[in-house]
Amino acid sequence: MTTLDVVAFVAVVLIALAWFLSYSAARLDRLHGRVEATYAALDAQLVRRAEATLELATSGLLDPASALVLASAAADSLAHADDSDEQERGAVESDVTESLAAVLTPEAVDDLRAGDGVPHDGLDRIKAAGTRVQLARRFHNDAVSDVRRVRRKGVVRLFRLAGRAELPQSIDFDDALPAPLRD
Amino acid sequence: MRIGLVCPYSFDVPGGVQYHVRDLAEVFIAQGHDVSVLAPSDEDTVLPDYVVSAGRTVPIRYNGSVARLNMGPVSAARVSRWLDEGDFDVLHLHEPITPSVSMLAMWAAQGPIVATFHTSNLRSRVMQAAYPIVRPSLEKITGRIAVSEDARRTVTTHVGGDAVVIPNGVFVDRFDLADPQPAWQGTAERPTVAFLGRMLEPRKGLPVLARALPGVLAEVPGLRVLVAGPGDADEVRADLTPEVAQVCEFLGAVSDEDKARLLRSVDAYVAPNTGGESFGIILIEAMSAGAPVLASDLPAFVRVLDDGRAGVTFRNEDPDDLARTLLGMLRDPVERATVAARGRRRADTFDWSVVAAGIMAVYETVTAGASIVHSNGDSAPRWARLLRGRSRS
Repeated sequence: MTTLDVVAFVAVVLIALAWFLSYSAARLDRLHGRVEATYAALDAQLVRRAEATLELATSGLLDPASALVLASAAADSLAHADDSDEQERGAVESDVTESLAAVLTPEAVDDLRAGDGVPHDGLDRIKAAGTRVQLARRFHNDAVSDVRRVRRKGVVRLFRLAGRAELPQSIDFDDALPAPLRD
Repeated sequence: MRIGLVCPYSFDVPGGVQYHVRDLAEVFIAQGHDVSVLAPSDEDTVLPDYVVSAGRTVPIRYNGSVARLNMGPVSAARVSRWLDEGDFDVLHLHEPITPSVSMLAMWAAQGPIVATFHTSNLRSRVMQAAYPIVRPSLEKITGRIAVSEDARRTVTTHVGGDAVVIPNGVFVDRFDLADPQPAWQGTAERPTVAFLGRMLEPRKGLPVLARALPGVLAEVPGLRVLVAGPGDADEVRADLTPEVAQVCEFLGAVSDEDKARLLRSVDAYVAPNTGGESFGIILIEAMSAGAPVLASDLPAFVRVLDDGRAGVTFRNEDPDDLARTLLGMLRDPVERATVAARGRRRADTFDWSVVAAGIMAVYETVTAGASIVHSNGDSAPRWARLLRGRSRS
């Protein structure tokens, strides 16, 4: 083998490696972008749910004890809207879900539906936001598991392709709809 | 909202996925959304104006059956052009693991992507071969939908992650408001039951019904069995005993309208399918029409029938159990009416109005995230952007 052959061979290998690294980096970059998008979506839906909850609490249509339970859970959720601690945020959102389930019993929902004006709308908004929270959380956790799987790959770790991007965490909390609002 | 739907199967031939895509597109267009459907089709096929052809198909054996699919560089170019011209807020792919236009679109697209998985019988060997090829593209999908629990299990075992279950839709009103056809309506002496489906395909279960009939006829000699579906009636009749052949009336392949009228008219609808059903849309159509449903206890059927509350089930491939349950139904008009009423209520949960709202919730969830992140700018490391090269274009 001549020197030229060796040089050519090494060049081809280096180009192939460079392409593969660039491809892997782009793939990982896209995945991180997806996680950011799904997190933003989840965040937006959680805020929407908290706002709808707060609105129902302050509508004057609930008894004061129920209203206070909802208002405090919703206020907690809104205060944690920018919290980057997934566990803390999960706990707060589970509280919102629990409070909604505790307040929106079948009797309470019948009462609210028997009235007119805001209550219909308010319950519908809570249901719509709650459904979208379920979707958004599932989509986010799917995206997180995809990123984590790719980041476990040897080439990604060896060449530090993830850069300084944080390893995303899945978000777990109870997001069930109050029973009377389910289909 | 500007919605791009991609159907992997040719619009030239009928099929569950094609009907789903067509109905979904029409529901969203009626709601005022901008919808474009990309699907393969032959040049001379007349398509609805919202469908763009991705080119003609070739018959190919994939995943154990022959499908008409579409691929190659010309198609890939057409897919890219459609994506560029469409300017969609959301791209909704159907069956992205089928080697056809959905896969090409998934490969070419960036942005909020939703995918619906219809199949529940993806072979592991196929998936193992496909995995390294499609994995990076599958990672682009933000929202995964499965049409049934079985399809969802396919996603979790073969693709990883999870999927939300949003069932296939039915236009309940089209069946509920159909006019009964007097010739197909039963009387106390001469009750009618309907069978629908390809007659010569054993898994549709006509042979099971044929073996159950002698037992039923011994008690209800006036029974009429209305058999609707493609297939040669003479060939079917040759396999039947004379007494069974005498009570079967073959209607041939029926139009959508006649199907609705048939289900609206009969005293019971029988679905003796023996397997290979991942959903059972015909059961929902029968429930919509108010026909009491008697079906084999396939897992998909039991789920559609709400654990057997919205219809009666019998042991799969057991003609004796079918005869017993069918007799029970024919003898008890009150029970029939109760089952039909429960089925009618159950059907409402599959109405397109409900199903489309669920899909729209998915669209809104994935697009909300995308638009928010875009306004924050690209957060990728600079060197990654420099290295990105062609893989991102």
